[in-house]
Amino acid sequence: MRTRQLRAGALLATLVLAVGACGPNTVGTPVPSGPGASVPAASTPASQPAPSVPSADLRWFCCLGTGQDPVQIPVEEEVAAAFATSFPGSNLKFEVTNYDEARDTLSTQIASGNGPDLVGPVGVGGLAAFQGQWLDLGPQIEKWSYDLSEYDPAAVDFYKTAEGQIGIPFAVYPSMLWYKADMFEEAGLETPPHQYGTKYKMPDGTEVDWSYDTVLELAKLLTVDKSGKDATEAGFDPKSIVQYGFEPQRDDLRGLGAYWGAGSLAGADGKTVAIPDAWKVAWKFWYDGMWTNHTIMTGSVAESEEFSGGGYTFFSGRVAMSENFLWTTYGVADAGTDWDLAAIPSYNGKVTSPLNADTFGVLKGTKNPDTAFAGLTYVLGEASDKLLNLYGGMPARTAKQDAFFETLGKKEGFPEKVDWQVAKDSLQYADNPNFEAPMPKYNETLTILEKYESKFATTPGLDMDKEIEALRAEIQAAWDS
Amino acid sequence: MTPLARREARQGLLFISPWIVGFLAFTLIPMVATLLFTFLNVTLAQAEPLRFVGLDNYARLFGDPQVWQSLVVTFTFAALWLPFIVIVPFVLALALNSRHTKGKSLFRTLFFMPYVVPFVAGILAWQQMFADTGWLNDFLRFLGWKNPPAWLFDITFIYPALVILGIWGIGAGIIVNLAGLRGIPTELYDAAKIDGANSRQQLRYVTIPMMSPVIFYTIILGVVEVLQYFLVPLVLKAGTGEPGGSTFFYNLYLYKVFFNFQQMSYGATLAWLLFGITLLFTVILFRTSRRWVYYAGER
Repeated sequence: MRTRQLRAGALLATLVLAVGACGPNTVGTPVPSGPGASVPAASTPASQPAPSVPSADLRWFCCLGTGQDPVQIPVEEEVAAAFATSFPGSNLKFEVTNYDEARDTLSTQIASGNGPDLVGPVGVGGLAAFQGQWLDLGPQIEKWSYDLSEYDPAAVDFYKTAEGQIGIPFAVYPSMLWYKADMFEEAGLETPPHQYGTKYKMPDGTEVDWSYDTVLELAKLLTVDKSGKDATEAGFDPKSIVQYGFEPQRDDLRGLGAYWGAGSLAGADGKTVAIPDAWKVAWKFWYDGMWTNHTIMTGSVAESEEFSGGGYTFFSGRVAMSENFLWTTYGVADAGTDWDLAAIPSYNGKVTSPLNADTFGVLKGTKNPDTAFAGLTYVLGEASDKLLNLYGGMPARTAKQDAFFETLGKKEGFPEKVDWQVAKDSLQYADNPNFEAPMPKYNETLTILEKYESKFATTPGLDMDKEIEALRAEIQAAWDS
Repeated sequence: MTPLARREARQGLLFISPWIVGFLAFTLIPMVATLLFTFLNVTLAQAEPLRFVGLDNYARLFGDPQVWQSLVVTFTFAALWLPFIVIVPFVLALALNSRHTKGKSLFRTLFFMPYVVPFVAGILAWQQMFADTGWLNDFLRFLGWKNPPAWLFDITFIYPALVILGIWGIGAGIIVNLAGLRGIPTELYDAAKIDGANSRQQLRYVTIPMMSPVIFYTIILGVVEVLQYFLVPLVLKAGTGEPGGSTFFYNLYLYKVFFNFQQMSYGATLAWLLFGITLLFTVILFRTSRRWVYYAGER
């Protein structure tokens, strides 16, 4: 277990290194060396031998991560359809399942012997949730002499588990603070700092650390009720808030906590639940923000039509600051044309920017491992530019980063100038160990976390110390069973 | 057995064989298989070698807090829900059967119509109606309730919301009750009237006893249905158990153990516990039915 956590941490570290230090812009291409290849590919770089794979109809399962948004689906279908051009005789069928049901659906398909061939994009958590189901790509990589030299060896090694080489690096999504500049201007406040380590200038001219204490102060000034009063003023009505000051990333209690500090639920022995202190502070900050300070939306408000933003509350255009991953570029245009990116605040003087990392996996139950591997190399190679832009995923290849952000910046509805450098800089503060790192009873633990997260978001007056202890005990019971 | 009887038996078995094959393939064999699973360590990944684990899975049930929490959720909801699905269709059927009610056909159609709407579509429609800006809260605001409840996000109001949603689909229950009421011989009411019984006494001493088999049937179905309550929380809250675990019903937990946690043996054990609980309640109901259910045709 400890090894797995270290490995997860190593992944993030190495992905960061890979992003910063990758070699030339080459795309790994399958080059068959073994017998049995039957159908030559139609379009491969002239400098490389044409890969051949047995003809097969592949199924591409989505979405254990991003990929389900209605605007993404047609592009994914287009990418899947184009596979047949590169590998005549074979087809890739894109199958979309909503994220909420994706894990159950995939489990059911696997259990019934009807699993897909290709799964992705899948994050660290998705891979961990299906431990034991992934194909060891090692034999295919060797057989096809797949070029992994463009990746940092440690980044490739991250995907080496007890099952073998279960993935190849694809995309990274750092976290940033997304803010609405117009709201800061209206409140007469300086916008948050874009550079890590920069102080923030308060309205009275004092310079303070860019920390969660500062965020709380600003959030109070930026939370406004319908009569125009902010959360610091007498007569402020928390039941008629029209604009919220701050929204954390609330998809997962672990992720929410990781913005305050990297950690894992698994203690040193890998069997004992040990909730990191920074996570406890983060959860209390969130809880107090909802029920005491009223600077953060409660569960019901966050789910309401008015504030949900159709996915993330920042998209509603009614939130001044929000922490989230780079992949939220898929819907952030709805927030208006005056948003920008800023540095993640610090906690106890330390900055942590939780990181998501995506790849594609091949299920070991596939009947066509070679063709499925060809499908994998297709989405990670030939189709990667299109998919990375679609998913808002920062390419692991340095040479592709600037072009990626240039394309991303031109997305319809985006502000003219977004400081994408913040995203690149945030990688240096990636959480290590990653909050999604494997842990015992992965899915059971997530279910318990979901339950408590919902309880916190919907129930005022809780004794958070008691609740956190109850959460720890319940997870421990699940791990011990 | 005569040759004719043997031939008839053979033909009878031939005709019934499709059902027998279906019953064996889709009910009996899977049931036996799941019972065997409970003594093994079957998981989706099957990382460990398959082995006999004795009663380990049953022992685990007792130490699993989620089992008891989800049973508490299920029984809490059942206590609220069962009276409604027994009483409301009966009362509505009485109203529809009354000679004083105008437009009976129209009301019958209106009450039954939700039943023919696909259930998932109905749940999704109600999800919108329960929203803060939905019709229900708009109506409550119109009545003067300034801050109406967050139906689907408040532990206090989630069960009433589920009951309201359930009542919407009681058309079939009304039809069953109506059929029962129509089947009560009018002579009984005539006799009661001659004996001086008023409307309330006719209800107490004629209608309810004569309807007791239908009420019994409704209770049995209600108990089985509520113990298997699954689709509504799955669709309404994506199976998360929100708010705060209050919709994490037993059957949802069972489903998660099977398909999300991928623990087939433990899931099978949970399924057998559910079977046992359902059987227990059914037996209790049948035993008590001798005291309060009246069968007019019984010898």
